[in-house]
Amino acid sequence: MCKKEIPLRRGLWVSSSTGDKKPQLMGSKCPNCGEIYFPKREKNICINCQYNGMEEVRLSRKGKIYSYTIVMQKPPGYYKGPVPYALAWVELPDGVRFETLLTNCDFENIKVGMDVELVIEKLHDDECGNQILTYKFKPDSD
Amino acid sequence: MRGGRKVVIAGTGLTRFVKHEEGKDYWDYGSEAILKALESSDMQWREIQAAFCGSVYTDTGSGHRTLGEIGMQGIPIVNVENACSSGASAFRLAYQSVATEIYEIVLVCGFDRVPKQGFLPSNFWPEWERYMGFNVQPANYALKAVRYMEEAGATEKDFARVTVKNRRNGVLNPFALFQKEVSIEEVLNSRLVAAPLRLLNCCPLAQGGAAVILCSKNKLKSKNKVITVVASVLTSGTYGAYTISGDSVKIHNPNLVEVATQQAWEMSGDGPEDIDVVQAYDTTSPSELFTLELLGFCKKGEAVHMLREGVFDLGGKLPVNTDGGLLSRGHPLGATGLAQIIEIVSQLQQDAGKRQVAGARVGLAHSMGAGPNSSITILRRER
Repeated sequence: MCKKEIPLRRGLWVSSSTGDKKPQLMGSKCPNCGEIYFPKREKNICINCQYNGMEEVRLSRKGKIYSYTIVMQKPPGYYKGPVPYALAWVELPDGVRFETLLTNCDFENIKVGMDVELVIEKLHDDECGNQILTYKFKPDSD
Repeated sequence: MRGGRKVVIAGTGLTRFVKHEEGKDYWDYGSEAILKALESSDMQWREIQAAFCGSVYTDTGSGHRTLGEIGMQGIPIVNVENACSSGASAFRLAYQSVATEIYEIVLVCGFDRVPKQGFLPSNFWPEWERYMGFNVQPANYALKAVRYMEEAGATEKDFARVTVKNRRNGVLNPFALFQKEVSIEEVLNSRLVAAPLRLLNCCPLAQGGAAVILCSKNKLKSKNKVITVVASVLTSGTYGAYTISGDSVKIHNPNLVEVATQQAWEMSGDGPEDIDVVQAYDTTSPSELFTLELLGFCKKGEAVHMLREGVFDLGGKLPVNTDGGLLSRGHPLGATGLAQIIEIVSQLQQDAGKRQVAGARVGLAHSMGAGPNSSITILRRER
């Protein structure tokens, strides 16, 4: 009856405009100071310089691991994914760092500086059996 | 804050920090600490003119409830919540109220419960991030620790060394939760929480209470040495630095601890070389190392070398967390900032028993909390 795919949060990513339809994360860029934010800023105000008028940008699909950890116990409430799980700070060449889940990887092989790429994947199923989707990064296959 | 009249420590009170005690709640620990502080100050309950009460996991009106265990004098009571800096933030408000001559005798207290969930406040993260599994407090320290390992060559053994040092000091502190030493092997064999952080690298949440009475110099009754508050500063996050999601790539602002440090030196007229004893925030073992660097006691990447050389040991050149730190004391969020300050007072009073740092005259306490916020308090004993 249900069984839809629902993004965890609107506005985190879009399908790319090129033929391959691969997803891209949506960020905000400040035309005044050049700072880039992910996720997109809800308000138009740049937290660095308070310029009012941020622009939407599509971010690179590939980046590098800036740091990572393996979480060994389920956090309080909410998270329904597998445990243990890998969390990372990823840095994109656009000049932005943010937190993400890592997927499809051997915990032993994760390294600072490792190349990773964006995937959109299931986070968990909701009560109706719909798939809740989110952004994650996996080791770059290229 | 420039000028203002001199503010001194009238007295202090601390309860044992515990994991759980049947039939006791935060108001019991808080009021116990207050009664001890009154005795230590040689002051009467009715002399207190205002109270600032720090806590995080308690109820609305928690300070009122706690003071209400002793009496109700109609004085202004303000409840202060600033995550792990609640106690120190409350202290700062109390200090300011005496320095600006609004009051002469003010009570600060801090107390807390152990939250049911075990990890630190989930509601700090927006809901979608909780679904992502980001709301795991040691994980953020783990992410920073991995960077510290890359940049400074720190190892898991170094992080274990911090725990061993603090647990060894904690045995000399009758109020600490943990009263037993641990070995490096025990730390390295304890279960992983958020790699590379293991259970024994993380401070346990606890319940307990702490209280300090501040007054103007002319009101000081106790026969103790005169301990003056020479700096009490508080900062919040600066954009791009020391954030939950990793620092900004492009924007390089000084970190909030660095800003607090500059303000603290400016206020007190001291520098790192003047400090005899330090309470450096050790919510996890690596935190002690990062904060010592940010506080300016060592250059970036050097803290781990100084740790290995024993500089931060009780008998070392710059003893750090002489009462065992958060790692040994346990962490009732509201009380921690005050417990740190109280240890500095004991050291300056030459009252720290086997933990005594010979001739300690100036001490610094630093705590940080989710926000982020950073608070620094410097106390100085007059000759």
